[in-house]
Amino acid sequence: MSAVRKAVVVGTLRKSQMKEQLVKGKRLDGRDLLQQRNLSIELGVIEKASGSARVRLGDTEIVAGAKVETGRPFPDTPDQGLLIVTAEVLPIASAYAEPGPPNEEAIELARVSDRGIRESGMLDFSKLMIKKGEHVYSVFVDVAVLNDDGGLFDAASYAIVSALSTATRPNTELAEDGSLIVSDDTSDLDVKTLPIATTFAKIHGKIVFDPNTEEQAMMEARLTLVTDSEGKFVAGQKGGSGVFTYDEMKELARISAERGIEIRKAIRDTIDNGSQKT
Amino acid sequence: MKTALLNADKIRLDGRKLDELRPVKIEVGVIKNADGSARIEFGKNKIMAAVYGPKEVHPKHLTKPDRAIVKCRYHMTPFSTDTRKNPSFSRREIEISKVIRQALEPAIILEDYPRSSIEVYMEVLQSDGGSRCAALSAASVALADAGINMRDLVAGCAAGKIGGEIVLDIDDTEDKEGEADMPTGIMPSLGLVTLFQLDGNLSASEFQKTFDLAVNGCMKVYQIQREALMNKYFGQSEPMQESNE
Amino acid sequence: MSAVKRKYVVPGDLVAEGEFRPIGHVTQDGNKFLSTRVGMAEVGREGVRVIPLSGPYIPRIDDLVIGQVVDYSAFAWEVDINSPFFGVLPAQSVFGREYSPANESLSSRFAIGDHLTCKIMSFDRTRDPLVTVSGPGLGKVDEGEIVKISPTKVPRLIGKKGLMIKSIEAATNTRLAIGQNGIVVTIGPSAGVEMVRRAIRLIEEEAHLADLGSKVEALFTEAESGTN
Repeated sequence: MSAVRKAVVVGTLRKSQMKEQLVKGKRLDGRDLLQQRNLSIELGVIEKASGSARVRLGDTEIVAGAKVETGRPFPDTPDQGLLIVTAEVLPIASAYAEPGPPNEEAIELARVSDRGIRESGMLDFSKLMIKKGEHVYSVFVDVAVLNDDGGLFDAASYAIVSALSTATRPNTELAEDGSLIVSDDTSDLDVKTLPIATTFAKIHGKIVFDPNTEEQAMMEARLTLVTDSEGKFVAGQKGGSGVFTYDEMKELARISAERGIEIRKAIRDTIDNGSQKT
Repeated sequence: MKTALLNADKIRLDGRKLDELRPVKIEVGVIKNADGSARIEFGKNKIMAAVYGPKEVHPKHLTKPDRAIVKCRYHMTPFSTDTRKNPSFSRREIEISKVIRQALEPAIILEDYPRSSIEVYMEVLQSDGGSRCAALSAASVALADAGINMRDLVAGCAAGKIGGEIVLDIDDTEDKEGEADMPTGIMPSLGLVTLFQLDGNLSASEFQKTFDLAVNGCMKVYQIQREALMNKYFGQSEPMQESNE
Repeated sequence: MSAVKRKYVVPGDLVAEGEFRPIGHVTQDGNKFLSTRVGMAEVGREGVRVIPLSGPYIPRIDDLVIGQVVDYSAFAWEVDINSPFFGVLPAQSVFGREYSPANESLSSRFAIGDHLTCKIMSFDRTRDPLVTVSGPGLGKVDEGEIVKISPTKVPRLIGKKGLMIKSIEAATNTRLAIGQNGIVVTIGPSAGVEMVRRAIRLIEEEAHLADLGSKVEALFTEAESGTN
């Protein structure tokens, strides 16, 4: 049995190498400071889900599955459908992941992902109402991290956007007694916009885009910004125990919007090509 | 049907101007048992923050040999919200506890207190939007009251967008009905951001404007934090200036 | 004359800008010195420092402290010295090198709840501070009342060359033992002890102000005229 490792340890030699490279504008895996790892997306990987996607971002691998079911609305929003987002770093995902209830990292991942969907207006919740106060569609989005090499906020966002964009909902009919008849036919879920997350890390005062696990272990602070299809900022989250200057915040907003456009286009293309599901 | 959050003169529902902060009151040293404490009233928010420590770490294996660890708990009492809040610790509270911890850690000189833990408890007695920024501001004052070495205070304030306008310090209604909320925390003397979150919908130029306004609001909160500490420790007195050495 | 410039500060406040020697409770940001505490900043020829008005007691070697036994094992007592760190009093330092847990019980000497006057022997941040009760004036506190003061304000309670403590003792007919950790043992008639309590409260509240000595004097005079 191997020793229990509590946290990622970056060797001293690695650390000084990383520092040297960053000064030169390079990273240990050969990337430029603002270069993203290879991104690949597969759609419809889970047949039983209403929509699903597997995202690989470098060595990080995430599956997001959306299930659209019918249910009762929350009492305070009787005319709106529901959205519930969860995230779990599965015990298989790294030597540091542990079984059990989600820790604060996983909860943060789920909540930031939730804000991206909700605040962008990606789903029109009023259209997900079937009968006010009685029947609505419930959209469950569950994110499973299969291999964790950092960049979870971004990879999860791409997986969720892809899963929801290709998701369907069951058609329904109201019976005369007010009960709901759920049909086997489905319709598209109809998404309005694609919220795309971009995460930056500050290491030795340099800012890198799309940090991997090793870089995350070295980072002083992290900033995630989410933009929608119109380039509007819909969610944000600073993480880590370090700081950003006011100028860095504004510069990162600019870069985030730029990168959002490129990544959104790549995802859009995948969705358009892949909609003839195999 | 949404309530209009602004009238024709761009005055908000509670009578505030666009860039106006709600009334903020901070009182220092309000919990006798704690090593440091503060009460903040931020609009209708009423929040108590208490600091215990530095003290021994429990459980022991969390001990860091060269610095202190910070434990943070942001918690809402069941009666703090319009409809009763489930008393158990929610995912929202876990997340907010984490971002507040990470907003305080850069300010605390952790290396000065090896092998110890600094515990920060924030209890929201009444919430009114912007409670995380208010709790953060109170916690930082409580840490200063506890006499823990800090690089700077941490001041928190949100800015956002309602009725198409960028406004300072979003309250509960504005948060629910408005277009965007950007809770921000800074170290005011050092000019550094330690807390940042965003939800809503902002164009690139609105993002910049909202951020500037949030920083501005933090500076106003900072003045109130300073005054509260000065008042507790020095009252109206002037420092003695005669040379006695 | 070396004028010392003073001002009140909170964490992050600018204490001084320029070429100075940092003495305590300041951080350096370029040539700026910022306070790390609530307190009184002093800028003088010697350097810059902040005298904090609150904060925990951090042990220093050779400090005299007064602590309370809170626990013991077979080999040492654990002493609460009003600090983030517990003091450790090894059994061998009390019973001698021949000490064996088989023959002696620690509680026979010092029980939980006992107050001890002790000295910090070693403390290097890697382990809890080691304390001793061997030496003149050290050992178990047999009588008196415990009064607390913020550890940061102990120097003002002692006063320059011990003047404050002497004047309090004389005026109240008591004897004071002051631990650097803010624990004070007061021995004397109960009226005197009550006066000490009031004097300490006054010092606690006005430690940042001048003329503390005459204010404490005034407190005693007022009390005397009040009772007579």
